[in-house]
Amino acid sequence: MLRSQRIEALYALLFLAPFLIHLGVFFVFAFVRTLGFSFTDKTLIGQSYQIVGFANFIQLFQDPRFIAALTHSISFMLIVTTLQTFLALSMAAILNQRLRGITFFRTVYYIPSVLSSAAVTVIAIWFFQKTGFLNTFIGWIGSVAPVLLTFVAIFVLAQAVQVAWERIRGLPVALTDPALATISLAVGLALTWLLAALGVVVPREAQPPEFTWLTNSDRFLGVPIPLWSIIMLNTFTTIPTLMLIFLAGLQDIPKSIYEAAAIDGASPLQQFFSVTVPMLRPVTFLVITLSLIGTLQMFDQVALMGDAAPLDSIIVLAYYVYNNVFSGEGRVGLASAAAIILAALTFAIVLLQRALGISEKAH
Amino acid sequence: MAAQVMKPGRKLDERYLARQRWARAAWVYGAMLALAVFFIGPFYVAYLGSLKDNPLEWPFRYSFAQTQPKNWAAAWRLGQLGASNPWTGGFAPGANIPFQVSYFVEDGQEPQTPVVTVPTRRAGAGLGAIFDEVQAAQYARVSEVQEVGRRSAVVGGQPGQIVTYSFTIAYEGQGPRAPRLPLDIEAPRGQVYYSATLDPNRLERRGRVASWDSAAPGLLGYAFRNYVRVFNEARDPNTGASFFLRWTLNTFLVCVAVVLTTLLFASLAGYALARMYFPGKNYLFAFVVFTMTVPAQAIFISNYLVLRDLGLLSSLWGMVVWSAVGAGAVFIMKQFFESIPREIEEAALIDGASPITTFFRIIIPMATPALGALTILTFQGMWNEFFKAAVVLSGQQGNYTLPLGLSFFRNAYGVAGDWGLMLASAFLSMIPIIILFVVFQRYFVEGVSTSALKG
Repeated sequence: MLRSQRIEALYALLFLAPFLIHLGVFFVFAFVRTLGFSFTDKTLIGQSYQIVGFANFIQLFQDPRFIAALTHSISFMLIVTTLQTFLALSMAAILNQRLRGITFFRTVYYIPSVLSSAAVTVIAIWFFQKTGFLNTFIGWIGSVAPVLLTFVAIFVLAQAVQVAWERIRGLPVALTDPALATISLAVGLALTWLLAALGVVVPREAQPPEFTWLTNSDRFLGVPIPLWSIIMLNTFTTIPTLMLIFLAGLQDIPKSIYEAAAIDGASPLQQFFSVTVPMLRPVTFLVITLSLIGTLQMFDQVALMGDAAPLDSIIVLAYYVYNNVFSGEGRVGLASAAAIILAALTFAIVLLQRALGISEKAH
Repeated sequence: MAAQVMKPGRKLDERYLARQRWARAAWVYGAMLALAVFFIGPFYVAYLGSLKDNPLEWPFRYSFAQTQPKNWAAAWRLGQLGASNPWTGGFAPGANIPFQVSYFVEDGQEPQTPVVTVPTRRAGAGLGAIFDEVQAAQYARVSEVQEVGRRSAVVGGQPGQIVTYSFTIAYEGQGPRAPRLPLDIEAPRGQVYYSATLDPNRLERRGRVASWDSAAPGLLGYAFRNYVRVFNEARDPNTGASFFLRWTLNTFLVCVAVVLTTLLFASLAGYALARMYFPGKNYLFAFVVFTMTVPAQAIFISNYLVLRDLGLLSSLWGMVVWSAVGAGAVFIMKQFFESIPREIEEAALIDGASPITTFFRIIIPMATPALGALTILTFQGMWNEFFKAAVVLSGQQGNYTLPLGLSFFRNAYGVAGDWGLMLASAFLSMIPIIILFVVFQRYFVEGVSTSALKG
């Protein structure tokens, strides 16, 4: 190595020193130590401890609470990722337009993502209370359902009649023709208003809310209702971030491909599935990975729920680890074993993504 | 398909296409508006809830006493009369407050004078209850209640009359200033509350008993009652200092310290990774990227013990040390330094300047945009950091940061169902981030999409 190179390497080490020390203590050492603890019976208060081999891992899989945490974490991860990806992609597709004021809307949608999870969770717990706003809203939808359904029926009918009429006249219009839909909307609103004013269609009496979101012991699709509440909350707050990533990806797709598809007679829906979805595959991949890793770490929402929901119905891996360290005598050994499983799950996802990512590029 | 089956008819003319474009734009705007309601609506209704006396009232009302300008004006005036303080009100020597209340009495019943009392009432159900507060009841003298008018009216389909009574509340003699002037008015059976100078905070027993948290509240004390309570009621039992102010200050200190350390350490490390040669550089960078995926929840146990051994638990310094520099920040700075041209620094290096001088004199001034973005992202991340605070700070309430404080409030007030205070504190804790977001929204939106795509 040349002398100048050696000096440069020394300077690089100097520049990197604070970061490397931090990384060494709070990541490398931390990881190795956690791995070590997971084979011992160390507690937070006890001074000495012994190596117990795989006893902690065996004990974990005999603990019903750990099994609950593991299944919750995995189902939470899969459900939230699926919901987020679909919703974020469809929202990004709507927002990917060159229209005036679109930046303003993008900014507005991002607000739930920048606010602190603690504040948002407090608001969400209020939202999910028995007489909170969610039940109020559901009750309101139920009471105006007759009016809403009338409107939808008139709208669909008006659209069908118009499309049929235009086609008879020889104009090849799509079922979703936006200009005709605007007229249908006006007709629907006017007729519904008239029927409501005449008293033909009236809202029903609003029912008091019955559904409990947080203290419910029922399950839906095998997942406890309180966890569904957290799923809804988490999806709501993270969609905007993923949507922005999708938007950035959408804007990298050349316009000419769409134009070529349009000349070939592809409808907007066909364009979406045969141009947008394949071109967006790398970004989708990234979004799914980010979402899988992010949802596995979910902690704040569960911790803030506190006694608002029974712990066994919302506990996830991250909270299981925390709870074991900071309750009772502080079972560090057991908690470390659970932490290692959490880390292993994360590694598995990253490796899976790497493996699939390479084959992706080969095609 | 359908088009081919049909006879060749009219062509798609220009006007038709233009109409379609306009209609499509209108539908897109409609969809965007609906999405805006979806993302902002929940916060709006929760904000309305935070203004209410009972945020869980059923049915939910969008318009209530605290949103009515009539009550704002009255609260302002009453605050001025009570303690010459139109903002937060009070009850001070020399106060003489006129008050009117009207009742609806059905036909066939003789109206009777209601009973007015200034009760002794402790503040709140939670932390505030342990503090002794000057009670207005000790000094208030309520004048005789007089009937000032009657008019016939139909209320709820029932014919009857509305009877208005008037009285005054005076501060007798000299004494300390009371922060609130609680008021209860109880009417005999059959009389239903109709209106008053200031709408009451609670109506009980079918509108017979109306009670006010304070009859001289001031504008903020009435319209933002729960927000004022966050500062006044939640106080440290030992020192009497407001928890919320303390937590805000703590969060600011942690954020500023972490932003400073991150800016310095991350730009140093990012520069070394982007520009300097040393063996194993690519492996190191791959490792740094890898560490970004490992959740903090998986490795916090050792970090907790390290901070315990250093004596940094329950201390803000613990938060700062643990968060001093993150792999993500180094990554952002490395990406930025790779994007600037090499020529400038090479010129400086040829002139014989050491890498350290070059870095601080030439590189850092050029990196202002990246440092600005990093400042904002780091500040926002630390302001919202809950997990590290829950690990490091638990126990000593005076040292909490805002997210942990909110969780403490949730446990302290959740049992009593005091949602007004919890919602108000959640909104108050968001204000700095909302301001930051409004001013620097570009950094937030661009930071997310570009850094994620490159990663």
